[in-house]
Amino acid sequence: MADYDIPTLKEEIDRETVEQVLALDVDKYKYGFESDIESDVLPPGLTEETVRFISAKKEEPEWMLEWRLDAFRRFQTLEEPTWAKLHYPKIDLQQISFYAAPKSFKGPKSLDEVDPELLKTYAKLGIPLKEQAILAGVEGAAESVSTPFGANVAVDAVFDSVSVVTTFREELAKVGIIFCSISEAVREHPELVKQYLGTVVPVSDNYYATLNSAVFTDGSFVYIPKGVRCPMELSTYFRINEKNTGQFERTLIIADDDSYVSYLEGCTAPSRDENQLHAAVVELVALDNAEIKYSTVQNWYPGDKDGKGGIYNFVTKRGDCRGVNSHISWTQVETGSAITWKYPSCILRGDGSRGEFYSIAISNGYQQVDSGTKMIHLGKNTSSRIISKGIAAGFSDNTYRGQVSAHAKAKNARNFTQCDSLLIGDKCGAHTVPYIESRNGTAVFEHEATTSKISDDQMFYCLQRGLNEEEAVALIVNGFVRDVLQHLPMEFMVETQKLISISLEGSVG
Amino acid sequence: MRPAFPVRLGAAEESLIAQLKAVGADQVAERVTVAGLPTRRVEAYHYTDLKTLLRTIPPLAQPANEATGTGLRIPGAFALSIVNGVVQNAATAPEGVIVGKTHGGVLTNRDDLLVNVNGVLTKDALSVTLEGQVQQVIQIDHRIEGEAAHVVDATKIFVADGASVVILETFSGSEAAHVGNHATYIALGKDTNVTHVTVDLSARATSHFSTNEYHLADGAQLRTLVVHAGANLARTHLFPKMSGAGAHANVTGLNLVSDGQHADITMETTHAVPHTSSQPLFKSITRGRSKSVVQGKLIVARDAQKTDAKFMHQGLMLSDDAEILSKPELEIYADDVVCGHGSTCGKLDEDSLFYLLSRGIPKAEAETMLVRGFIAELIDPIEDEALNEALQGIVDTWLLGK
Repeated sequence: MADYDIPTLKEEIDRETVEQVLALDVDKYKYGFESDIESDVLPPGLTEETVRFISAKKEEPEWMLEWRLDAFRRFQTLEEPTWAKLHYPKIDLQQISFYAAPKSFKGPKSLDEVDPELLKTYAKLGIPLKEQAILAGVEGAAESVSTPFGANVAVDAVFDSVSVVTTFREELAKVGIIFCSISEAVREHPELVKQYLGTVVPVSDNYYATLNSAVFTDGSFVYIPKGVRCPMELSTYFRINEKNTGQFERTLIIADDDSYVSYLEGCTAPSRDENQLHAAVVELVALDNAEIKYSTVQNWYPGDKDGKGGIYNFVTKRGDCRGVNSHISWTQVETGSAITWKYPSCILRGDGSRGEFYSIAISNGYQQVDSGTKMIHLGKNTSSRIISKGIAAGFSDNTYRGQVSAHAKAKNARNFTQCDSLLIGDKCGAHTVPYIESRNGTAVFEHEATTSKISDDQMFYCLQRGLNEEEAVALIVNGFVRDVLQHLPMEFMVETQKLISISLEGSVG
Repeated sequence: MRPAFPVRLGAAEESLIAQLKAVGADQVAERVTVAGLPTRRVEAYHYTDLKTLLRTIPPLAQPANEATGTGLRIPGAFALSIVNGVVQNAATAPEGVIVGKTHGGVLTNRDDLLVNVNGVLTKDALSVTLEGQVQQVIQIDHRIEGEAAHVVDATKIFVADGASVVILETFSGSEAAHVGNHATYIALGKDTNVTHVTVDLSARATSHFSTNEYHLADGAQLRTLVVHAGANLARTHLFPKMSGAGAHANVTGLNLVSDGQHADITMETTHAVPHTSSQPLFKSITRGRSKSVVQGKLIVARDAQKTDAKFMHQGLMLSDDAEILSKPELEIYADDVVCGHGSTCGKLDEDSLFYLLSRGIPKAEAETMLVRGFIAELIDPIEDEALNEALQGIVDTWLLGK
């Protein structure tokens, strides 16, 4: 971290932050545009036929279809969970379309063949799909006006239900890394998919995970072979475009012995009056001495200022530190979605494994966030760290819900948890619900949480130095969330700091 | 998440339903029929699943006159006693203490089965009104005697404006599989100063449940201490409510659990108005295969600005196979507040132990010293000397009873 040229970075942020704030007057959620792309959309409804249709569309082998059907049968016996501190009308799955793909889409192809309309969409979102230009080192090729991703990033672009393009595949294949869409992996690498799919998040883990197992459409598959350090950041960019659809992504990342990978995930959707469902499952597997860094900037459409519309984000993310001394680190910045229900977790199975969770969850307007993590200590000498910062403004509710548990055999398990909440305004709520379960005497757990508001002293200090109130709030909040930001990949840091000023816009006065 | 199927009722539930129906409490009986005893899926019972822990509920208690004597005697205390749920006649009350009876339950009705059951099964509750500076410790001695019995009793205490008092509740009885469901309601008037200590010294076979509700008016100062050192299954549910500006509560508790025991302190503090504070502090010490549960929820209402609340739970594990389960919760709706919670657990500090050993103190004694030091924070603030000594005695007895 110390190697970065900090002064220039700071200048950069300041300029961009100011521009960002100016741009906010017109349009708060800048990714809310809709691309006019003709799509094949499956009529709304969820039946066994839907599952068969998706499987057929993806040209899946028989075993995959069976797997999906089994999940679907189990799903029918489940009920929607109600324990989260979230309030929303019942989601009618029969009103949702489970598959949508651009008409032009005929399976993954090279960049030259991708529909120009699609490329335009991604350009508008600032996602670098122009691999050649980037490789040649041409400045500005990525047109990263607002991209969470910098230049040297391999991107898997998922548009509604299909992965439209995956960049840098050949580059990565040279070192043996497999980076492709999950549908492709099912066809091309069935042995790996069979071995790992559903081993971290079992088919019937929970209501939404089971639904996802039955109808998942696309997502990324990453396999890092033994001893390989992935030379660039891998990323997936999810975009919901079509009306009335749900997106069901499935991501599987496997880091074999002694390997390392850093993976980024971003997501946006058009501004609509309806609520759209996004139910994802992400599975990470870290074998002996492997390290996986998973970062998310979640920026789904949060709904308008009256709480109308927005994405319902029900996500199951879990990492399995299966090998000794393995290491999984989750970093998330949650600013979007009308409802967030998300608990990226670590199963610390391997002796000496390490799990980390860094989170910033910002809620504004009528957003509801119920997010946190689980650290399940099973192996000896395992350690975990949780740093969570929740910021609630407007009429929103922001809940941290986390579990730390040490199994009787998890000798010398160690956990440190810190979750802080910041409230901006008197119409919002911040809640903390940690479950701390120590089942053996050698485990040492520490949990700390605070809730406070921005102190008058801090505000006064900033104001008397000529900052306006909104700038001052953004500055203080940035300081408040620094612990987390420092763990984000470089490209995310800049973007996140901007996001924070977006989400807080209008919260003062 | 799981398939919906009707609750299968066990022997405990069947007998509870019969007891409820016998007194015409059809609504509560219906609740048991539909939902059964609270399971881990009921948040407040997440770690104390009564459906698995409470397999039988004995018949309702018969009045008993035989008394094996109190579990804890405090010199100079004014003692009131409730035996098998029946309020006993008391000696002449000291000045400022008015003893009486009220009919029926004392707690605010809420969504909690034990509270509902207590409400409908309590016949006569003890009522105590306290005025002025009450010098003597007021002891309410709850006993369950004879054959295994289901005992329900309740106490309502009013502390008049400006009064100050120390109240001790003790729970003990014969060695049988009793189920005790006790309730205490304390209303603290303006500028009162109340210390409320409850000590469970029931026989091991007993299942002990207490629900304590506190309402604090302007400027009221409350200190509570819950000690679980008796029953195999003990649970105290605390509901302090700060209803007046300047109210402050030190809500404290101690779970002392040995092999085979399960103790649970669950607290839900509500800060309802601006300018109130609370400082819940709970400690767990576990030994053998035992379980200590501490759940604490701080609720700060929408307009309860300037609330200052800090929850703390510290667990000390003296054995490898004990469990300490805690859930400190915050539910905050006001923005100008300082709220925090902490929860830690671990073994005795190796360094401190080494320090003492290197000075020639035998291991057992060194451990005892450290444990006493760990608990001192809870017992030291109890100013009444006799009571303080008695509490220290309970801890020492527990430490010796390996």
